[in-house]
Amino acid sequence: MTVTANRPKTEPEPTVRAEKRANPVRFLVLAGLLALLLIIIAPLLIITINAVKSPADYASGGPLSLPPSLYWDGIVDFWNRVDFGQKLWNSFITSFTVAVLGVLLSVLNAYALGIGKVKGRLWFLVFFLVANLLPQEVLVYPLYFLSKEAGLYDSLISIVIIFTVIQAAFGTYLLTSVYQEFPTELLDAADVDGAGKLRTLWSVVVPVSRPTLGVLFTFFFIWTWNEFFLPLVFLVSNDNQTVPVALGVLQGDRLMDVTMTSSSGLIGILPALLFFLIFQRTLTRGITAGAIK
Amino acid sequence: MIRSRAGLSAGALLLAASLGLAACGGSDDSSSEEGADAKVLSLWHYEGPNSAMGIAWNKAIEEFKSSHPGVEVKFEEKSFEQIQQNAQMILNSDSAPDIMEYNKGNATAGLLSKQGLLTDLTEESSKRGWDKALNSSLQTTTKYDDDGIMGSGKTFGVPNYAEYVEVYYNKDLFKKYNLQVPTTLDEFTKVMDTFVQNKVTPLAVGGAEYPAQQILYSLALSKADRAWVDDYQLYKNKVDFKGPQLKYGADTFKQWVDKGYIAKNSAGIKAEDMGVSFTQGKFPIMISGSWWYGRFVNEIKGFEWGTFLFPGNKLHPGSSGNLWVVPEKSKAKALAYDFIDITMKPEIQALLGNNGGVPVAADAAAITDPKNKELIENFNKVSGEDGLAFYPDWPAPGYYDVLVAGVQGLINGSKTPDQVLDEIAKPYDENLADLGK
Repeated sequence: MTVTANRPKTEPEPTVRAEKRANPVRFLVLAGLLALLLIIIAPLLIITINAVKSPADYASGGPLSLPPSLYWDGIVDFWNRVDFGQKLWNSFITSFTVAVLGVLLSVLNAYALGIGKVKGRLWFLVFFLVANLLPQEVLVYPLYFLSKEAGLYDSLISIVIIFTVIQAAFGTYLLTSVYQEFPTELLDAADVDGAGKLRTLWSVVVPVSRPTLGVLFTFFFIWTWNEFFLPLVFLVSNDNQTVPVALGVLQGDRLMDVTMTSSSGLIGILPALLFFLIFQRTLTRGITAGAIK
Repeated sequence: MIRSRAGLSAGALLLAASLGLAACGGSDDSSSEEGADAKVLSLWHYEGPNSAMGIAWNKAIEEFKSSHPGVEVKFEEKSFEQIQQNAQMILNSDSAPDIMEYNKGNATAGLLSKQGLLTDLTEESSKRGWDKALNSSLQTTTKYDDDGIMGSGKTFGVPNYAEYVEVYYNKDLFKKYNLQVPTTLDEFTKVMDTFVQNKVTPLAVGGAEYPAQQILYSLALSKADRAWVDDYQLYKNKVDFKGPQLKYGADTFKQWVDKGYIAKNSAGIKAEDMGVSFTQGKFPIMISGSWWYGRFVNEIKGFEWGTFLFPGNKLHPGSSGNLWVVPEKSKAKALAYDFIDITMKPEIQALLGNNGGVPVAADAAAITDPKNKELIENFNKVSGEDGLAFYPDWPAPGYYDVLVAGVQGLINGSKTPDQVLDEIAKPYDENLADLGK
């Protein structure tokens, strides 16, 4: 598989372009796409509108009215109330550590399973797949007792360990199928050059599959960032909580504070959104990239 | 009784796992002085800082600090969800707080008390007079028996506030159609007829959540007495779902829908949207709990509003609020008791009342805010008649969703009242059978 050969032509013939421009179907498609785009960003828009609306305006105008003036108190109050800076840091440090360790573990596993072709690798893969399909609710009690025994209950380390394993299970599964298609020419060449197994991994396999690893890293980071259930169970102290858990503070027994919930929602997703924008280039490079250069 | 060894050890393991270390603490806490020399009191609750409870409890923490110099109070605001989901796991670990707010009810405080995770407060409560401050329907939710069922047994919690269901009305709209506050159910019906004649839907209802079932329950209560409530809520005697109370409730609710008091589309409306539609002035009447009160005081700017009790009823849906509980693993029990004592003081109770809450032990004279006075006077009236009838979804686990579905069927006309009563009787009776009653 080569990347360079099937790149699409960037410059279509001028005459064809003119013909296409006159085609009314194109406008319909464009209008349809715009409508779709609007549907997709509508929830975000509504959150943003309500985030900068005062509770009284919300009470008199409802969720869809535009705020008469910008009201930042909701965001500021929420930030101070839950010490949001601390939560951001907790989320960042756990997500980042999980992403790094998860990718590392996936690479090592997949190298053994995909390229090393260890015995019974099919069963390993089935095992990892099943581990992926298990709902987290099933894992809660065993993990709770284990972490209590190990003294890791109410500690970020427990979350890092748990999610490294969960994410690496998916990573191993995906990366193994990528490595099974790994060009044997490269491996043979490395072998001929006298590279050992480790050397082959670090100098050949990892650099070639770097785009895939980048994708995994980004996904692991965002997935871990958005995790709610297990952090809710394991991070008891407020000082240890992550962003999604902190957002839960606003959901009361019977009442909810819509404007402040929107504010918190907005500042809660911004970091993940930013991260996504920064790393979207690695995502577009494709999940199964790999080439003989 | 012969069991296999494997079964026995599995049972033992399960017991050890579920009770965990909780049982160890129970043996040596004979005196209330335990933990009096602790230097830290960790305290959790999940009320917002601007809510009546949040304000009053902040003040209580300050008072506690000044009466206990040298003790550090580690307060953490928790999320309702986190406590609801994980209380059992947290209280069974070393991360348990010394005192915390927790939900009343069989499935929550009852369950934890049964598992030995909560401290028995019976002795402390009579010594410090908390029991005298609470009338008997308020005390129902503080006591749990050995099976974790409320109403009798030991005291495991202390509530500071109460809640009850009342009728909110838009004074401007009442004035527009020359209507008076109704005092009987007939008058109430006439008021709603007037609105319907003028093409105004009278009731804001959230059929997708708790509000609709509380209306049905209020209607049933209009034909009920305390003995029936005890039968329904505390399983004293078997309840006939086709009896005069619930049958009347379901039939009348259906009539209200047919007459147009309740909009057909309200089956899909959430409680939050119901509240907002009332604050927007779209509906003249809303039947719901006192928990809206503080919010309406702050947020309704466009019209005058007021409240009255469900006309003609002596019994109203409502109960004590959430409880202060002391986990069995608390390291500062004596300090926790001192803190509860402070929250029951008149000035803290008055502060609660002046901020839109319903204090359990307030002197109405100490409530200066005229708006809040109305709320508390109504409550004192209910409380004086011992009229808190709890909530319809309490008797069985998962009953809330059963009731929501049943009442939705009534609103959108897909089920007859009899079908709905059959449908909601089934899980209720099954729960009774599970409890062996």
